[in-house]
Amino acid sequence: MSQANPISRLERAARRTDRRLRLRRALTAASACLPLPLGYAALVVGMAKLLPLGMAQARPWLWGGLVPLGVVAVAAVRAALARRAPFEGALLLDRHHGLNDSIANALAFSAVPEQERTPLMQAAISDAAAQVGKLEPSRAAPIAIPRELAYSAALLLGLAGLWALEVRVLRVVPAPLVKVQPMLLSADDVELFREIGEQLAKSTDDPQVSAAARRFNQLVEDIAAHRMDRREVFERLGSLERELSESSELEREALDDGLKELARELEKSGLTKPAAQALSEKRLADAEQALRELAERLKKKQNPPSKAELDKLRSALQKAGAASSDHQAGIEQRRKELQEEQESLLKKKQKPGDNAAKTEQKLAENKRKLERLDRDKQRADVTRQKLSELDKQLQEAARQLMQDAQAAGKSLESAAEDVNRMSKQQLTDEQKKEMLKRLQELREVLRQQGKAGKDQMDRMQRFGERARGGKQQPGQGSKPGQGSKPGQLRLSHGAGEGPSIDVPMPGSSPGAGREGQGDGQGSDPASGKSYGSGHDDKLAGDPTKLDGKTQDVTAAGVDSGQGAASAEVIYGAAERGFVGRGYQKVFTDYQTVAEQVMTQEEIPPGYRFYVRRYFQLIRPRD
Amino acid sequence: MSEVEQAREDVQAFQKQVGALREEIGRVIVGNREVVDGVITCVLAGSHALLEGVPGLGKTMLVRTLAEALALEFSRVQFTPDLMPADIIGTVVVEESAQGGSTKFEFRKGPVFANIVLADEVNRATPKTQSALLEAMQEHRVTVGRTTYQLEEPYFVLATQNPLEMEGTYPLPEAQLDRFFFKLMVPFPSREELHTIIDRTTTDHDVKVNPVLTKDEVLGMQKLVRRVPVAKHVQDFAIRVVLATHPGNAEATELVKRFVRTGASPRGVQAVLLAAKIRALFSGRFAASLDDVRQSTLPALRHRILRSFEGEAEGVAEDTILQEILKKLPESKA
Repeated sequence: MSQANPISRLERAARRTDRRLRLRRALTAASACLPLPLGYAALVVGMAKLLPLGMAQARPWLWGGLVPLGVVAVAAVRAALARRAPFEGALLLDRHHGLNDSIANALAFSAVPEQERTPLMQAAISDAAAQVGKLEPSRAAPIAIPRELAYSAALLLGLAGLWALEVRVLRVVPAPLVKVQPMLLSADDVELFREIGEQLAKSTDDPQVSAAARRFNQLVEDIAAHRMDRREVFERLGSLERELSESSELEREALDDGLKELARELEKSGLTKPAAQALSEKRLADAEQALRELAERLKKKQNPPSKAELDKLRSALQKAGAASSDHQAGIEQRRKELQEEQESLLKKKQKPGDNAAKTEQKLAENKRKLERLDRDKQRADVTRQKLSELDKQLQEAARQLMQDAQAAGKSLESAAEDVNRMSKQQLTDEQKKEMLKRLQELREVLRQQGKAGKDQMDRMQRFGERARGGKQQPGQGSKPGQGSKPGQLRLSHGAGEGPSIDVPMPGSSPGAGREGQGDGQGSDPASGKSYGSGHDDKLAGDPTKLDGKTQDVTAAGVDSGQGAASAEVIYGAAERGFVGRGYQKVFTDYQTVAEQVMTQEEIPPGYRFYVRRYFQLIRPRD
Repeated sequence: MSEVEQAREDVQAFQKQVGALREEIGRVIVGNREVVDGVITCVLAGSHALLEGVPGLGKTMLVRTLAEALALEFSRVQFTPDLMPADIIGTVVVEESAQGGSTKFEFRKGPVFANIVLADEVNRATPKTQSALLEAMQEHRVTVGRTTYQLEEPYFVLATQNPLEMEGTYPLPEAQLDRFFFKLMVPFPSREELHTIIDRTTTDHDVKVNPVLTKDEVLGMQKLVRRVPVAKHVQDFAIRVVLATHPGNAEATELVKRFVRTGASPRGVQAVLLAAKIRALFSGRFAASLDDVRQSTLPALRHRILRSFEGEAEGVAEDTILQEILKKLPESKA
């Protein structure tokens, strides 16, 4: 009987046992090394609990986890592939089945060449072969859960506990990065407000106004350089406005009150009537002139005033000099009376009575009056302070009129100087008012442009270029081929048509504006309605000869009423840009009229802005 | 009949004969199965045994019974300090012829000229006498003068030692101990065994031992033993066990390193493997196993390892050292 088959079955059984043995050893080795990655994980989790680990910081630690895991894998593979003693699986089978090494011996003898095998070897092999059906490799080499896993399980539990543990760590959360959206202002508007700022700075000597003008210019430059966001711009605008308005409002009102009082008294004398009228109309320069003329008249003794006129003048000057003091004293008196009445009403209120409600009403009314009087008193104090020098000079003039008219004339000249000083002060106030107005314009422009966004900025850019009579640069906000022909400038609310550049006015809807832009880009050069540029190549005729002998002749033009009409100038400006002296003249005329109308007629403030904005946009460019 | 079947029958016959021998010895000797098996093993290995035990444990009785059961010639020598080599080997004497007138030198054989020799208390004789015996044991022949006498096979010497009375004794040197196949420790009988011993020896109970094996059968069995195959991994284990008794070996245990001066010789491996083969045959198996090696290690090696001074001072027994080796040494090695 051939023993090949039983031997191969024996070998299979032994190999199977051997494989199971390798697997068991691999598991045991892996289990023994498993605490390493678990310990590492515990370390990383512990660190993550105690330190604020971001994803970027945690990544190296997570990659580092591959090392202990690799150690486990290597240990398992090494244990599985380690060189084994011969017949290890077979010996295990022998031991399990109590076969006294008959399987191992049989396999060992089967390796001996058949012709060299002794009868006892053959007998041993056949004895082992008889057992092959009973062999159970799975029982001989059971794969049990390694005991070493107990440590790993304990570590795993600890790790889970660590994971669940909440460690309170004060973490400084960085403030979310807010991307600053710079406030945008078109280059054309930047130029406009730069010019305004320069004019304001040049037109004043007053240090406060100059400082305000410098701040205004700086603000414009910062906006132009995109250094500020919307909030910051409006904060600085507000600050500048407050500063200018706070200082000027009260003083202006106080001065107006004082001058009115002064005019009222001076009007009583025929000699000071022109000055009184000028003062009441706040024409301080005229008032100064009138006072100087009167002083001159008094000093030169030519055409001297009559005695009655002088008496009236003296009386008027005296009263005028004391007017602000009297006004202040009257306010003081009235305030005192009201204060006393208020106290008596408060006492009355404490007593039970029928007219408690009436007393309460009276008290509230008195309180309002007192508040108003407080404001009046404040203004009167300022008035007195402002006019103290003028009052003094007027009283001095009145006093000297009794002795020497020439000396009185000198005092009146000093009074005229004071009026001149006040005139200058008034001019400064007007400059402040002008600056405030410009600030409000800037505010409104920024507000409207902030709403419209980048589209409008692009349109403003194109509009500014056209307004200067320049051509659009390639790649600037339009497709190639678009706008290659000069379009017609037009300010619209988005309903444009034809080859024009529409710049939506503030308040127009963005959607409508975009639609208008699309229509007005003039993308098809053939369909443009405007004239073309260049000349015909087939042009015939001689070129202009410039080398002729000429003589310069200056001739004064006479307006015959046959020149270009304003409408023609405007039409030309719309096509070539807002440039040229003719256009500048027409613009000035129109703007003046518009300003006058806005001053004289009741126009809603919102509309005033649109009108001013309109004129800003169509202003002449250099 | 095929060779394999013949081999099977031989092994079965061996097993039967050994069983019969054990049974016959057991009729006289009570208990001591291991010692009996050890002695039989030595006989079948064609070698000699050293028995160590206190007096009165039946050592002489065992050897005598064995000799009777095997129908072999038996002699006993009581070793004493004044015993001379000639006393055990034999001597040449002048002998007159029966007719008278002529005399001749004739060799008178000593007690070693038997199949089974019991050397009682072998450590009491002088080394010179011990050497004379050990030469016969090793060479199975005796040289007297110019004549060499071959000893008849099977030849088996069983020496005994008394571990208690050490005064005036000549402990066997290591080289001579190495010539004993096994050193068997005869234990004191248990209570039940003593009962049986008393019953047999203090009554008129008389047991006649019958021969169960002939001389030829014994020689045949010895040949069969030599034919038993040993797989490479089993042989390797036996070799590694012997090597592990050497303190300098990589697989030497802690006890070996501390308490052993010299390990077992190559004769130890031979003894272990032969004994393992015999044990396999005892069980009716055709090849020796690792377990057979394990079982044979103690009697085959205990007298072959030499303890260090520290080992002797600490009283660490050779058996303890060998048991530790067997416990810790892996059965197979890559």
